[in-house]
Amino acid sequence: MSTSQPKPKAFAAGASLVWRRQRILWWIFVVNLVLAFMGAAGASHNLADDAGVTLNHSTEAARRLVHGFDMSALQELGSLPQDPLRGTSALAALPSILFLLFMLFATGGILAAYYEDFSLDASAFFEAGARCFWRFVRLLVYFVIAMIPVVIIGSIAGKIYDHIDDVSVSPYASVWFGCAAVAVILLLLMAIRLWFDMTEVIAVAHDERRMHKALRLAAGVMWRNHHSLFWLYFRISVIGWAVFAAGLYLWMIRLHPESGAKALLLSQAMILFWIGARLWQRASEASWYKQYREAQAVSVAPPEPIAPLIPTEEELAGAPR
Amino acid sequence: MSTVVLMLVDCHIYGRLKSLHSNKSRDADTGERADDGHSRLRPQPGKPAKVAGAGDPGNTNHCQNLAVGLCCAPWRGILGQPLVKVSALVGVAAVCAATCAAPCLSARTAPRAQAAHKEMAAAADAEKKPLSTRVVAYQIDAKLDPATHSITATESLTYLNLTGQPQQTFPFHLYLNAFQPQSTFMTEVRLSGTRGNDPDSAWDAKNFGSITVDKLEVDGMGDLTGAMQFIQPDDHNAADHTVFQVTLPKPVAPGATVTFRMAFHDVMPVVVERTGYKRDFFMVGQWFPKVGVWWKNQWNCHQFHATTEFFADFGTFDVKLTLPHDEVVGAGGDLVSTVNNSDGTKTLEYRSEDVHDFSWTASPHFTDAEDSWTGSAGTVKIHLLMAPGNMASAPRYLRALKGTLAYYDKWVGPYPYDRITVVDPEHGAFNAGGMEYPTLITAGSTWWMPKGLLVPEVVVEHEFGHQYWYAMVATNEFEEAWLDEGINSYMEVKVMDALYGKDTSMLNFPFAQAGDGEEQRTSYLGAPDFDPLTRFAWQFRSSGSYAAVTYGKTATVLATLEKLIGEEKMQEAMHTYFMRYRFTHPTGEDFLKTIEEVSGRNLRWYFDQAVYGTNILDYEIWSADSDRVNWYEKENPLTRSSHQQVYRTYVTVHRKGDFIFPVDVKVKFDDGTSALEHWDGRDRWVRYTYERKAKLASAEVDPERKILLDRDFFNNGRTAESDDRATHKLLRIWVFTNEWISQLVAWFT
Repeated sequence: MSTSQPKPKAFAAGASLVWRRQRILWWIFVVNLVLAFMGAAGASHNLADDAGVTLNHSTEAARRLVHGFDMSALQELGSLPQDPLRGTSALAALPSILFLLFMLFATGGILAAYYEDFSLDASAFFEAGARCFWRFVRLLVYFVIAMIPVVIIGSIAGKIYDHIDDVSVSPYASVWFGCAAVAVILLLLMAIRLWFDMTEVIAVAHDERRMHKALRLAAGVMWRNHHSLFWLYFRISVIGWAVFAAGLYLWMIRLHPESGAKALLLSQAMILFWIGARLWQRASEASWYKQYREAQAVSVAPPEPIAPLIPTEEELAGAPR
Repeated sequence: MSTVVLMLVDCHIYGRLKSLHSNKSRDADTGERADDGHSRLRPQPGKPAKVAGAGDPGNTNHCQNLAVGLCCAPWRGILGQPLVKVSALVGVAAVCAATCAAPCLSARTAPRAQAAHKEMAAAADAEKKPLSTRVVAYQIDAKLDPATHSITATESLTYLNLTGQPQQTFPFHLYLNAFQPQSTFMTEVRLSGTRGNDPDSAWDAKNFGSITVDKLEVDGMGDLTGAMQFIQPDDHNAADHTVFQVTLPKPVAPGATVTFRMAFHDVMPVVVERTGYKRDFFMVGQWFPKVGVWWKNQWNCHQFHATTEFFADFGTFDVKLTLPHDEVVGAGGDLVSTVNNSDGTKTLEYRSEDVHDFSWTASPHFTDAEDSWTGSAGTVKIHLLMAPGNMASAPRYLRALKGTLAYYDKWVGPYPYDRITVVDPEHGAFNAGGMEYPTLITAGSTWWMPKGLLVPEVVVEHEFGHQYWYAMVATNEFEEAWLDEGINSYMEVKVMDALYGKDTSMLNFPFAQAGDGEEQRTSYLGAPDFDPLTRFAWQFRSSGSYAAVTYGKTATVLATLEKLIGEEKMQEAMHTYFMRYRFTHPTGEDFLKTIEEVSGRNLRWYFDQAVYGTNILDYEIWSADSDRVNWYEKENPLTRSSHQQVYRTYVTVHRKGDFIFPVDVKVKFDDGTSALEHWDGRDRWVRYTYERKAKLASAEVDPERKILLDRDFFNNGRTAESDDRATHKLLRIWVFTNEWISQLVAWFT
């Protein structure tokens, strides 16, 4: 079956889709930024205005935090009785949850836009999102279930790692095993994510409500095309991580500690590219599946109709007696 | 002075020659060469040392210690003159001889010269004496069974009764019995942890450690095994068997000796608290029955607690270790002989003098990296026993160790031993790391340790520092842990800052830095007001409070004290304290009085608060602002810009905590002028008012950050203009982190 498929240029097509439909990218970026800012603003307010700290008027803050990044200064802030860093972790969790809900809602619209390669207006986008929201919530539950074997494998690998670390004189034996185990688990995670990505594409393309059926269809598609699909997903992942790592390097190593605007721009560019890379995967998958369906339609097109052996009633009625 | 320098050079030459001589010599008893590279600068008792270069084979030197060898011998060798003919140098030579070359340092460095002269007379007497008052003489013959992780040994302890009164009851430590589920040690670990919380709930056979005394005889008094009795002087926990005592049939007279002969058996736990095994790596510490210390007119022999360390008398150790032939061994003593046995084992004989403990380590996988360092007391042989995979840390250990040796030599006093062994524990045996024993320390690193994280350096510096503050100045670690850990932490900061930079001596990455001093201070900030420094180690609120106060707060208290009395006085005080109390058991008051004596100041007000108290020190700029004097008139922009407008500036300084400390207050104005005030800090607050043709720019209490005990530096200064760069920087990082976390979470959709 797969041999008869076209070779879709999904990799480039996906990038092109993200570029052409970049309003999606910017919206996700803005929502992510606003939510993250809301989460951090509380802590920032504590630092700036909390009685006894008043970081904005502190000569110490400039010396230890602006002109460098003294980790002990951050520790000291955390150890103060008024605890100006209080709530930073709790406040960070809320935006993440809100963003998760947002993405559950938006994914339907995003995939519809990419699959149809059409600029959806707001109402069409939200309609698509709303139509798929509960389907994707159910799919999230399936995803968590699918993760259980990975967790079990991770746990077993952890025990084996501990055992090797315990018995081996060389510290490297466990390290190599750990690296191999992490690589396998990462590949598994990628495969599962890809499977669920394809399920979502199928759910949108076929307007399929039954997620278990969509999962089966996606599994079949993946089984038959695992190499090309995985390679598609993997390449974009590597590019995303590589750019992110390069950005971190620039930010942490190359950028001057006092450079505020540059650091802000760089950090946001990193996030923007990260979101872009994820959307690139989505767009590539949608593009791939669309081309795949088209190829399927051609390859399994019905043969020329054969004259029925038994005449229909109309034929009988019209026939000379 | 030049003669002294010449003599110092000669001392070093002698040290090298003697070392060479020692390495080439063959053991008289076994006929085997002590060829493991361990040098023996010090002559063995009863074996007169030959003087290199003396030119007279029959001319033996009966020096009892390294100092004598170092300082007398070169004299005759180089100058070729009898000692009596060069009387001008006698005093200096005697100083070297008696104090193990410390006065050589004194003579070499101007600040120490006076002290050196004062010590000459005493040094001359000390020429014939050991470095310490030797109360104990241990002879241990031990055999390691790696398969069962056990040691079978015999011990002979000769105790010299210098208590000034007859002694009939003797307490002994059995530290390894702490590793039992119901011991006081483990009970405390379960309550609040110690160096980690191991063993956790998965307690099984490998976690057990024990020491069993199978037989106890006393010379002239017979078998007293049945008279042994476990005691629990600290908490009456009957299940705790870390101390036993034995009452003799008859007392030991003052000045007399008594010899105990024991047969004991150790079962080592998997590495848990400075000691134990991991695979075939062994770190064997606190492993033999050790007698308590007669101190403050009573026996001091505490149970082993989760947070306590050790306390013992000085003496000699002659230890024979029998173990498999392939073991690479490091020990806190000079290797005297090696005998290869027919059963595939070897027996190593060590001797150590003027120490109060003996520990050793063994592993077939160690790489022994050797080096040496030469200081004012001669050459010190360095052994790095590196674990597999960690060789990359060896140069880092060495740099830190040599730097520490040099700074201690310069600032505190000479290192009198001829060796130091650094053990790098194998992976998985991290709890054996970061520990000190006389002339043997354990370090800590990993194969992946980044260069910017200076953990190996800090650990080696700290543990070597304990050679001074524990091994030589042997304070009671049970009762006054701040005297060894705290003073050592203060010196750690000094040395690390000198070696690696003040702001980068702990963390040195391009994107984040931290100085060791700040880390000590931050540690203190974690528990600033629960316990005073002087609390008994096991009576702290928690192990966290113990660590924060004993290490961090003490280091910060002393760093603040240094700012108060001056760096030079503080250095002199540390030197005086070391020279005066090395090889003794001083108390906290001895230390504090030495500082007062050297500084010439009454510092009780400070010690009462910082050492004996738990008061919080926190001064803040409560408010600072400027107001036009003619506020009721409309402001003229021209007057303001030309600095003709007169402003009234108020600065209110607040003492937030109960700790009273004199402080400086610096007020800066926007025309570039400033005012420096000095406040005694007694009242709750003080207000300074200025009328100038300039507005306030900033006000800062303790502008030079001398008062490191201040709990909150962020409220020390206040600027007139808002500067949100720090807040924005933190905000950027948090926003980015939040965004990133959100992206990871969204991966699930």
